[in-house]
Amino acid sequence: MKNEYMPHSAVIDSIRSESFDTKTFKVVFEAKALAASFNYKPGQFAQLSLLGIGEAPVSITSSPCSRGFLEFTIRAVGKLTHAMHQLKPADKIYVRGPYGNSFPFEQVKGKDLYFVAGGIGLPPLRSLINSVFDRREEFGRIKILYGAKTPNELCFKEELKRWQQITDTEVLLTVDKADEGWKQNVGVVTTLWDKIDITSSGAVAYVCGPPIMIRFVITKLIKSGFKDENIYVTLERYMKCGIGKCGHCNIGAALVCIDGPVFSYNQLKEMPQKETAMAI
Amino acid sequence: MKEMLLKKADVKALCLAACRDWQVYAPLEGMGRDVQFVKINDKVKDSPLNNLNLDYESLVIPPKVIGFPQLESLFEFRGPNITETVQPSGKKLLFGLRACDVKAIRFADKFFKRDFEDIYYLNRSAHRLLVLVGCKLPPRDCFCTSTKTGPFLPAPKEDSQSEESDFDLQMVDVPDAYLVEVASKKAEEFINSYRQFFSDASEEIVAQSEEAKRAAEQAVTQKVDFEKATKNFCEDKIPEQIYERIAERCIYCGGCLYVCPTCTCFNVFDEKEADSGRRWRNWDACVFEGYTREASGHNPRHEKRLRTARRYEHKLKYDYLTTGISGCVGCGRCLSSCPVDIGIIQVIEEAAKI
Repeated sequence: MKNEYMPHSAVIDSIRSESFDTKTFKVVFEAKALAASFNYKPGQFAQLSLLGIGEAPVSITSSPCSRGFLEFTIRAVGKLTHAMHQLKPADKIYVRGPYGNSFPFEQVKGKDLYFVAGGIGLPPLRSLINSVFDRREEFGRIKILYGAKTPNELCFKEELKRWQQITDTEVLLTVDKADEGWKQNVGVVTTLWDKIDITSSGAVAYVCGPPIMIRFVITKLIKSGFKDENIYVTLERYMKCGIGKCGHCNIGAALVCIDGPVFSYNQLKEMPQKETAMAI
Repeated sequence: MKEMLLKKADVKALCLAACRDWQVYAPLEGMGRDVQFVKINDKVKDSPLNNLNLDYESLVIPPKVIGFPQLESLFEFRGPNITETVQPSGKKLLFGLRACDVKAIRFADKFFKRDFEDIYYLNRSAHRLLVLVGCKLPPRDCFCTSTKTGPFLPAPKEDSQSEESDFDLQMVDVPDAYLVEVASKKAEEFINSYRQFFSDASEEIVAQSEEAKRAAEQAVTQKVDFEKATKNFCEDKIPEQIYERIAERCIYCGGCLYVCPTCTCFNVFDEKEADSGRRWRNWDACVFEGYTREASGHNPRHEKRLRTARRYEHKLKYDYLTTGISGCVGCGRCLSSCPVDIGIIQVIEEAAKI
């Protein structure tokens, strides 16, 4: 029987600063066999820990196409994430996983894809976006709508530019509060709707961001003609074990760690409204 | 195997003898009225089980603690090196469990086995013999006949090889002895190993035991329409005001959940001194404000009424929807232990009225 609670040591290969409070950590498992065999799907998460400080779930932002390493984009918010921000390359962290379900991938081939993210909501989608771009010709048109509070707080600034160059791909950015150099949209992410031509027929939308954003985006998507079953949301909840035992991440009959974190809007609608009201 | 007879005068001797091969857990009187289900192997040296009490009213701490201790180390670390602290299993004889607690143990067994296996619980529970001693008189707040979890459990039918019995042995008070029902191969082996304490039971005694079971069942006078209540829960017919009214009185101490025999929630935390320490898990409770509070401070279940709703809906609705079995075994501990006199039975009663 495998002990799922035992984490594996990994070494930080490099750290990239995304914004004033967010960093992306590239990590490599110390055990070579594990580094080579570790498989995951876009949307899954890992439990990251520092010994003596604690453990937390973090979505895997790298794409499974890139082998041998994992990337995690982490905002310094709590005890563990603040401690992680003090780390340097060659420092150790501990990882177990991958856990949770994943975004539908094979099923959406040939379809137009919309990615809508707010703030730290882009990292979970990035794994899927890069997996899609890895097989670009197998998918339809792609639109990435991404908003943050300020230009500084947009993650993956270089990658956003690179994505923009890809065939049949639109990347639209918005910020709540512009600075001097900002030439793009100002306003919440739903204000980007007026700037694009939405072709909802058969299109699939992936949404990740703070609860209030998710709610407004879903409303907008429905109005634009997206079907409930074609809207996917990835949820966050306080979580301890990641494997369906500690209980913390329950929403109705579901556990976000094993039944999610990816849910279709169809599934969300079936959950008790009082449970989802504050979660999405 | 046919039913056996165990004289009451031989019960202590059996437990003492079993200590050679088993870690024996049994109900011992402690201080005051408290009876605890504890390991007796180290205790029998000092006293020859004079405080063994099979007629206890109820155990405050449920036997779930044997597989799922209140505080448990997951691993130790020194510098960057981690050492697993999985407990070696050992053979455990759980002697003198009540029917509701046997049902709860089986509930937890399934929970810790499904999806990802919980190695800590499963190792602690791997080699167990569950010996049920049915209640003669129910505890004050019990309603086990309504939840169909006691005071005795049905013995598995002779011809059904496939169906696993919830208990291994079930003992019925007849009154100078116990009629012992043998429900598993493990139980047969146990009887054979300690054959000197058991004798054949006459048909007369077997008939007497059936009568004793019926009497015990009739002694449980507290009745609720459990089926209707859970049906109403599953069909979303419960008015939210029930939770609001409880929220006005509940002090959110979590006591009812710590003593609930089917509650399995836990918290995980690290402890470190210099460069070494441990990762621990300890019991947690869904009524606590911090249970769902995220690092950002956002809390989807900040409101008391929502936490109360979760606490009852988990047992009476979601457990049903996901497993087909309710998480309430009718033991009444939540009411008995509540400082402000709230228990799940009151919620069930209200839900059944709808």
